[in-house]
Amino acid sequence: MSPTSTSRARSKELLAVEVLLPENHEIKNLRSIKPFVSSLFPTVKVEMRPSIGEQVEDEQMEAVASSLASARVKDPTRSEQDFEPMYGELDYERRVLEGEARAGGILYDGRILEDIFSKILRPKVDRASIVLTDRLVSTFSRDDLRHHLRTIVCGFPSIVSLPGIVEAPAKPREYYLIKQKLELQGAGELRIEQLKSSFKGRFLDYDDARTIEVVKGLVFQAVMFHLTLEPFCEKRGCRLFNAHWQEDLIRSQITSAKLCKDHTRQLKALSSCPSIAW
Amino acid sequence: MPIFEKSSESSVTRAIISQFAKDMDGFADTDVIIIGGGPSGLMAARDLALKKVRVLVVERNNYLGGGFWIGGFLMNTITIRAPAQKVLDELGVKYKMYEKGLYMTPGPLACSKLISAACEAGVSILNMASFDDVVLREKNRVAGAVVNWTPVGALPRNITCVDPVALESKLIIDATGHEATVVRKLEERGLIKVPGFGAMWVEKSEDAVVEHTGFCHPGLIVTGMAVSTTFGLPRMGPTFGSMLLSGRRGADVAYKYLKGKK
Repeated sequence: MSPTSTSRARSKELLAVEVLLPENHEIKNLRSIKPFVSSLFPTVKVEMRPSIGEQVEDEQMEAVASSLASARVKDPTRSEQDFEPMYGELDYERRVLEGEARAGGILYDGRILEDIFSKILRPKVDRASIVLTDRLVSTFSRDDLRHHLRTIVCGFPSIVSLPGIVEAPAKPREYYLIKQKLELQGAGELRIEQLKSSFKGRFLDYDDARTIEVVKGLVFQAVMFHLTLEPFCEKRGCRLFNAHWQEDLIRSQITSAKLCKDHTRQLKALSSCPSIAW
Repeated sequence: MPIFEKSSESSVTRAIISQFAKDMDGFADTDVIIIGGGPSGLMAARDLALKKVRVLVVERNNYLGGGFWIGGFLMNTITIRAPAQKVLDELGVKYKMYEKGLYMTPGPLACSKLISAACEAGVSILNMASFDDVVLREKNRVAGAVVNWTPVGALPRNITCVDPVALESKLIIDATGHEATVVRKLEERGLIKVPGFGAMWVEKSEDAVVEHTGFCHPGLIVTGMAVSTTFGLPRMGPTFGSMLLSGRRGADVAYKYLKGKK
């Protein structure tokens, strides 16, 4: 995590936020992120940019594809993955970068992705770069020695995983128990939608119109990380809460969608003067 | 008055041998060899044959279709998620909507129609023959398959010592399901490292199978469940849409490659 700066004089104030759109563009109203961030930080310029693949120069394509193929998490119990990427993995990554294949279904190490994206975007101190991606992203936890799916990996740039919003925070425990039972009966595929509807509102699914509100909240967390290095709040009702359960995610980002008192005060100060505290 | 025309045993034997010898002569050098006659292999074979590509499907069983005859838990209802039902429309397979985006059809109907479509498109079939090894050329490019009769593998070595035969092709498609037999053979030779199935279960697994369908090694394309094994994709349930669409994508990739070579 080492942002570079070309201008020391301007490095203490956030001047711009750039949000890179995801590869597949499946979530509606992503453009509404711009007015949302502008409303929070009126002095900051907000740019919506094409996906990371479109930032890669032709001559860099093979090297970036190779790095992405090497960033895959094949064994979630190992902090470092030691493997030589296959010809087909390189080919797939190149096709995704060139827009010929869709990203998805593969788990990537968020910290390695951050490093790859950093080399492409060359983030600056006065500019918060946030990459929205259709890739599943994880980080390794020293607590239980395994990788965990993430909705957001804060860094330079920060990465927001859109499928991670559905897959990373856990659904209600009963959902998994019933689903497991259905799969054992061989009826998982046919009854999955019925099962989902019986838990309606308790977790986000793909194509859920409310997802954009969560994306906005995660982008906000990424901006707060850039300003303070402390993106999360411990209070469940705060929009900066780092939810590990779907029900908490819905509550903090959709039902409440507000900040706690302390963060309301902090935002008020940052809103007029978005100074970088590190 | 007998029902059937008169014919001798020797004529029947000569008919079988002469036609099979003629077929084998064609199999010795073809455009694409597809190992595995399940839904993705048959789909790829049919699409390629419709484009006048010479295709041979090598199937280790007597029957074609793989797991397409039955759905999950040995129940013979096949489920297909949109947009793969459009393939059923093309094949003339009737289906019912279970709910928005999810369709059902009897396995025997869908499977027999797919086999029929592949055969009518001009696909050659070598059944009861098992993949034994790959033919390698410059820079370890896959350029053919070594095959043997399936029963040979089932007999003790001291009874049978039957050497296989090599069939040359411009491309091989591994459509052997989760076993990924051809890819595993490359792994045995130290040319590739297969991670196996991913540990996760995510709902977009079907998409990932289709998106990863393509070359995994020079001269070798993977389709269907072999894609999951080869690239370590997440596990998925018993649904066949991705098998059909993966086969179709495999055919597209192969066709573009062959066209580029010409």
